[in-house]
Amino acid sequence: MPTIITCFKWVVDESYIRQGTAGELDFSVVDYRISDYDRNAIEEAMRLKAIYGGEVLALTAGVPEATKSIKDALSRGPDRAFFAVDPSFGGLEPAQTAALLAAVVKAHITPYDLILCGEGSGDLYAQQVGPRLAEHLGIPSISFVQKVDIQEGKVIAERRVEEGIEVVAATLPALVTVLPDINVPRIPGVKDTLMASKKPVLSLKKEDLPPIPEPYLQTLEMKTAKLSRACEKFGSDDAEINRFLNALRKKAAI
Amino acid sequence: MDFKLTEEQELIRKNMREFAEKHVDPIAVEIDEESRHPAELFKKLADNDWMGMPIPVEYGGAGSDYLTHIIAVEELSRSCASTGFTVSIHVGIAEMLILLFGNEDQKKKYLTPLAKGQNLGAFVLTEPGAGTDIMAATTTAVLDGNDYVVNGAKTFTSNGPTGGTYLVFAWTDKAAGRKGMSAFIIPRETPGMKAGEHFKKMGLRSSQTSEILFKDCRVPKENLLGKPGDGMAMAMAGFDNGRIGIAAQSLGILQAALDESIRYAKQRVQFGQPIARQQAISWMIANMATDLAAARFLTYNAAWLKDQKQPFSKEASMAKLFASEKAMEHTIKAVQIQGGYGYCKGAKVERLMRDAKITEIYEGTSEAQRMVISGNVLR
Repeated sequence: MPTIITCFKWVVDESYIRQGTAGELDFSVVDYRISDYDRNAIEEAMRLKAIYGGEVLALTAGVPEATKSIKDALSRGPDRAFFAVDPSFGGLEPAQTAALLAAVVKAHITPYDLILCGEGSGDLYAQQVGPRLAEHLGIPSISFVQKVDIQEGKVIAERRVEEGIEVVAATLPALVTVLPDINVPRIPGVKDTLMASKKPVLSLKKEDLPPIPEPYLQTLEMKTAKLSRACEKFGSDDAEINRFLNALRKKAAI
Repeated sequence: MDFKLTEEQELIRKNMREFAEKHVDPIAVEIDEESRHPAELFKKLADNDWMGMPIPVEYGGAGSDYLTHIIAVEELSRSCASTGFTVSIHVGIAEMLILLFGNEDQKKKYLTPLAKGQNLGAFVLTEPGAGTDIMAATTTAVLDGNDYVVNGAKTFTSNGPTGGTYLVFAWTDKAAGRKGMSAFIIPRETPGMKAGEHFKKMGLRSSQTSEILFKDCRVPKENLLGKPGDGMAMAMAGFDNGRIGIAAQSLGILQAALDESIRYAKQRVQFGQPIARQQAISWMIANMATDLAAARFLTYNAAWLKDQKQPFSKEASMAKLFASEKAMEHTIKAVQIQGGYGYCKGAKVERLMRDAKITEIYEGTSEAQRMVISGNVLR
């Protein structure tokens, strides 16, 4: 029976971000949530567990205030959680997150069969943590997956690529990053939420983990983007409709 | 003082919001217009344990505290006040009364299916001639062998046409006055009990309301809830619990009115700028937000007192009175802010305004709440 690890990120719920008067982003009243595609990863892990049994382990790195994220993740079904926790673990770069997660997997969750991640996070969408984590662990990485199954020690995955669908297989253990259309994540029931805090959580402090790399990037400023929209009015007679079509052709929209 | 909700309460609020946006918002207009009970929605609510949240797990519930249930009713009502109310009366009165006063057999037989959402509970007290004046009720239950025989007519019974488990109040000893009323658990198919047609109402239209008629309806003695003569005290306890639910429903309506007002005032341009920049509008919204915050504190405090097993009757009445009157007041303002657009069918504020009115009427009118509150403070 497989051991499935599902990684998730606790991201700012963008509906709470406000725009300040000078165009700056106001994060003062934000709330957080599990990144959307990571919900798909958790759901897919639970779907596979329902078929093949085994155990689902939730894994994240974050700040001490992110305990709610653990409860949220566990309310979605996983049996246990692993939490790399430190005040400095907020706003990590993908390379740092991947290094942390790899350290936890190596030290505490080996052996395992499958790691599921969301294709990208709801905030940065760098699409790096999954492949980087696989690289640290020396296992195959399959991205853009819209369908996944386990058969005879292998993972079979349907990848959505530009012009079609590619079906690939890899020997377990392997890592898969999933697309949002792989499933519809559940809304946890009340009992699931209330029972989540009773599930075991292994918290790993910074001093329990190997040092992580320094960030490559430094955020200097963050401000709202301005979209310039080209507004042009068209009439309804033949000439105007032709002009409208030509305008669309010019922009390569048709 | 700590006003912070627990992480579980915050998560459950978010889960209910997500549920309501996904499953309730898309049908809210239609079930209002068609006055329809969305049975399929209640199945989904039950699947997520929302039909018996504060009921212990051994009786089919989720084992949450009452405040968490109240938060869920608020979020649900923000999308559809009818749906929020149906859950509220089902849990807050029908289930709570059996939980508080039922014996073990009754809890297993009736509370468990209710908490699992397998059928709906109804509170059958009001009569054509007995609204706020409960003592004017005329329905009787006469002991005959091992059965009580119930005769009379009830009206304005919420979940009347759709209920499965009815908590019915009738005189077993009219001469004993307040100590002469008793309560019975009567399942839907009992011969002699008949639910009437769903009333067409101004608002709260998808919540099903009807008369319930009793003609020589034989109810086994074991379906008596509590002791004979305890009915009035149980009805009052039911109201105490239920009123926090109506306050929560009012909060949902108020929050929705505020959401709608902010959204509209920011995008509606008149005199060259969004109307939110007009003081006349921005002050309406300021008052709305302030009253909502005050109503929320009153409501959560009443639920918290209940969870702490402290007296909460007066606080429940205060929360219900304030939240419902503010819901009415501000939904009128919300329609005013949207002008002609807000007055048209399909505008959410139009439905909110119609739905708000009932919160000042049922589970004790505003006048009845003032009687409870003044009775408490003038002691």
